[in-house]
Amino acid sequence: MQMKIVYSWLKEFLPDAPSSERLEELLAGLGLETESITRLAPPPSGVVFGRVLQVETLEGKEVRRLVVDIGQEVQVISGAPNAKAGMGVALALPGTVLPDGSELRVRTIAGLESYGMALSPKELGVGDYAGGLLEFAPEALPPGTPLAEAWGPDEVIEVEITPNRPDWLSVYGVARDLAALGLSLVRPSPKPQTTPLPLPFGVWIEDPEGCDRFTLSYARGVRVGPSPLWVQRRLYAAGMRPISNVVDATNYAMLELGNPMHAYDAAFIREGLVVRRAQKGEKLVTLDGQERTLDERDLLIAVKDGPQTRPAGLAGVMGGLEDEIRETTSAVALEVAHFDPVRVRRTARRLGLKTEASYRFERGVDKDGQLLAADRFMELLQAWGGPGVQVAQDRLDLNHTRPHPPIAFRPAYTSRLVGLEYPEATQAEVLRRLGCTVEPTDQAGVWAVTPPSHRVDLNIEEDLVEEVARIVGYEQIPTTLPSFFPHPDNLGVEAPYEANERLQQVMAGLGFQEVLNYSWSSPEECTLMRAPAPTVFMQNPQTPDRTALRTALYPGLLKNLQTALTQGEEGPFLLFEVGKVFRQVESLHLAALLCGDPVPGLWQKGLEGSFFALKGLLEAAAHNLGSRVRVEKETVPYLHPGISGAVYWNEQKVGQIGALHPAIAALLELPQVFLFELALPLSKGSGGFVDIARYPASMRDLAVVVPDATPYAEVERLIRAGAGAYLEKLEIFDVYRGKPLEQGQKSLAFHLTFRHPERTLTDPETDGFMQNIIAALEQKGFAIRR
Amino acid sequence: MDIAAALEEIGKAPNLESLQSLKVQYLGKNGRVTQAMKTLGQLPPEERKEKGRVLNEWKRALEEALEVREAQLKEQALQARLEQEALDVSLPGYAFPSGGLHITSRILLELVNIFRRLGFSVVEGPEVESEFFNFDALNMPEWHPARDMQDTFWVEFNRAASASKEAFTIQGPFGEEVTDLGGAVLRTHTSGMQIRYMIQHTPPFRIVVPGRVFRYEQTDASHEAMFHQLEGLVVGPSITMADLKGAISELARGLFGKEGKARFQPTFFPFVEPGVQFAMWWPERQKWLELGGAGMVHPYLFKAVDDYRERQGLPRAYQGMTGWAFGMGVERLALLRYGIPDIRYFYQNRLSFLRQFRG
Repeated sequence: MQMKIVYSWLKEFLPDAPSSERLEELLAGLGLETESITRLAPPPSGVVFGRVLQVETLEGKEVRRLVVDIGQEVQVISGAPNAKAGMGVALALPGTVLPDGSELRVRTIAGLESYGMALSPKELGVGDYAGGLLEFAPEALPPGTPLAEAWGPDEVIEVEITPNRPDWLSVYGVARDLAALGLSLVRPSPKPQTTPLPLPFGVWIEDPEGCDRFTLSYARGVRVGPSPLWVQRRLYAAGMRPISNVVDATNYAMLELGNPMHAYDAAFIREGLVVRRAQKGEKLVTLDGQERTLDERDLLIAVKDGPQTRPAGLAGVMGGLEDEIRETTSAVALEVAHFDPVRVRRTARRLGLKTEASYRFERGVDKDGQLLAADRFMELLQAWGGPGVQVAQDRLDLNHTRPHPPIAFRPAYTSRLVGLEYPEATQAEVLRRLGCTVEPTDQAGVWAVTPPSHRVDLNIEEDLVEEVARIVGYEQIPTTLPSFFPHPDNLGVEAPYEANERLQQVMAGLGFQEVLNYSWSSPEECTLMRAPAPTVFMQNPQTPDRTALRTALYPGLLKNLQTALTQGEEGPFLLFEVGKVFRQVESLHLAALLCGDPVPGLWQKGLEGSFFALKGLLEAAAHNLGSRVRVEKETVPYLHPGISGAVYWNEQKVGQIGALHPAIAALLELPQVFLFELALPLSKGSGGFVDIARYPASMRDLAVVVPDATPYAEVERLIRAGAGAYLEKLEIFDVYRGKPLEQGQKSLAFHLTFRHPERTLTDPETDGFMQNIIAALEQKGFAIRR
Repeated sequence: MDIAAALEEIGKAPNLESLQSLKVQYLGKNGRVTQAMKTLGQLPPEERKEKGRVLNEWKRALEEALEVREAQLKEQALQARLEQEALDVSLPGYAFPSGGLHITSRILLELVNIFRRLGFSVVEGPEVESEFFNFDALNMPEWHPARDMQDTFWVEFNRAASASKEAFTIQGPFGEEVTDLGGAVLRTHTSGMQIRYMIQHTPPFRIVVPGRVFRYEQTDASHEAMFHQLEGLVVGPSITMADLKGAISELARGLFGKEGKARFQPTFFPFVEPGVQFAMWWPERQKWLELGGAGMVHPYLFKAVDDYRERQGLPRAYQGMTGWAFGMGVERLALLRYGIPDIRYFYQNRLSFLRQFRG
């Protein structure tokens, strides 16, 4: 979460604070990343403080006529709904150049001349609110004073707060951490004037797990009105909108000290407040005007009214509309409490209500800061709420909090974990500066360190190690390399990654471009592409085409091809992807696609794109990886029924290869495409070393006539089976159909190479092998062409 | 016989065939010189001696002339052949396809290879992960505000098929089913592999884990819902933060040359303590690049791992160990390195984009 720190505010606690640029470096060293530094310009010259003397409704017009005192009376025509006599406003006089660059002139509105413009926060460039005028107390400044005199230049440092450091979610919290670097710190010590007053209410905690501390303070004689000018300026700069002096005081005290608080109109809380679980179905209209339906895990603040209790607010999240501060409020009850972070988070999440209060409670607020924060509120109320404010001396404080147990801390461990020697004295000094108490224990080398209550993130020894390293500075940490022999059970863990890396390199080397597609798909796409139906579905899909996870890779490749063709990319297209698919389990696949001639003919004949071109590339990949691949006819839903087969890698079935089914090609408007998709990991080739041949080979040729439907593979199997151990190579060199063969027959012609590893084969021996082959073929009824 | 005419004839023989016939004509079995030599025996000794000498001279002269002419003709024939075979070598060759790896794979490989030189092994993990490995075991329980830092894609499995064998299961480190360890997500980071790897292996070790991760983000020029991370993990009896800084510095030098260096600043991740965000100095542009997060492995992780190991019947192995981990975005580095304006280019897979990353 981002938080805006107003520089002048921070400086109140750190009188020696350096420039914002230097602060950015110091904050980074503490772990607070600066998102931006914004310079706040004073209001443009020409914007003055004015007091509205009179507001006249104009018959039949939406705008009204204001008479404003700026040392002289001027007529201003305004459409602002909140304009009222007696209020202070920011008035831009003719000639003023507003922050948006426009220059103001005397204008005629509804037939009347307007000698200026009363500004909304947005028009003045201090906030986003454009629904009404900035409202100031009537006596805030002498009329006609340039607003720039009250609102000088300032700076806002926007920082990113990590979720572990709720203590940074306040101006003082940031100052306190900076002070640990050696800057002198002004500690807050609010001292409201108190009066002995009877407290008109009580507090009952019925759910101590949800709330371990609840304080309720009381003040009366309050006049509700706008906050002082400088307060409004700071609240706007911090990103909040001023509401009224009472509400602003709660926000101001929270932004300053970090404890969220809630002010009730004391007249509405009857006998007092009860902290309890909500009942299922109970309803509450929150401050934002929404009716919320509660459940029994929500923590509720309720008003006790006789035996009944009535919901008044969601603890730590948002107050109820009914008990909010109004213009007529004169007595205020202030709640500053501590609630269970998990309960607050649950309620805030369930209702989608993220507020300044819930954000802080979820992360953990200071359990010891309630009374200080209440004092600060009362001090502000006394300053801003009119002369008659009486603050009750007594207050209710139901405190069930437990002190933080000390952490057993070995200073030697800091050096061991960081790899830098930190003297014990330095460590103790750093921890004390951060507000920890550091005490020796019975055990040598072990300290008992108790963190301050605001540091909810310090719970284990390592947390304290970080504190020492952080304050001394991470830049002090030296650089070394971890040197050791890994435990033997880690050996070989890299093999699967290496195999895939090698496969990727081989595919790229053969001319395929790797693509990486999204892991998403949808049932519709799987149906269209004839891929297996999805098994993993998105609970919160981003788009309708990403409702599930992919079950195959080839649909992605086909979509890449479609895009490439639409965009007029240059072919041929040889694409591949190695990626996860999701069926019964998550597994890795390789898919490749060929579209176009892999070696296009330019001025000479090239190599045409065909099933055998892709198969040849697959075979080349296999040989590269020391493996054998063969294909057996098989029907595959997404492939052409006549051009598809199962791929066997080292005799293990791993996937399919073929031409894309023409029906799918037609739907996607694709030309002929050849594809294969294999399941990984592919087995390694078993080939060991065989000594280089020393004896001459014997060659023979053979032509076999077989029915057209007989696959090559069957003939090959018969030849290999018949040939015996010394057939070194079998090459098909011709497939022939036509005369003199009969219709429906084909002739397959082979070169055969025989070799014996230890001697020269004699002609009769080789002839013998050939006879065995011929016998095997003839037994199947195949004729030998002589 | 006119020897001069014969020699001239040989010297002018137009080709090897005619040269051969001249050779036969003079020096063949029935050639004129051969025939003449056969008649020498019938001559008186004086005449025989003289004629024999002349014939032998002629024979030598003819042989020499034949040899010379043969060499000339062969040379001419070679020249003719070479001329005939000459090609326009400036014409383009066959357009063999040229492939390449995806830019993400290339960067990942570059990163991984730097760590391999430092003795790290590369392992990978699953993209569909149980809530336990992705969050809980990493010290991010359900209520932890740190979960807000990562917008998550939650997944569910085919309810209709759940009774049958067709349903999807998430497998644990040993292949055991872990589908029911909380909900299931598309992993939001590669850090879940820290847990999986530690459960399965005994320290000390050094690993890096490249992989896809997913965040529920609206995509724009600098945000993608799917991207890649590289995770690193070192665990041993005396691993220090200085070791982490050394490794990240070495990464910076591997990426950016001898002027590359690393900077550490404190930050927070629930699974490390102390926590670090690191930047690397990019000498070419003279600026720091925020590239990732790191820190010392939080003891909570060691405990969660040992508890799991114990449930699997394995000894506890992480008590007293220290370790560090880091994670960094891969696409971000590529974007900066190449000045690519839009992260969405990566997975649109436009060939005119992908084909640029070669060499």
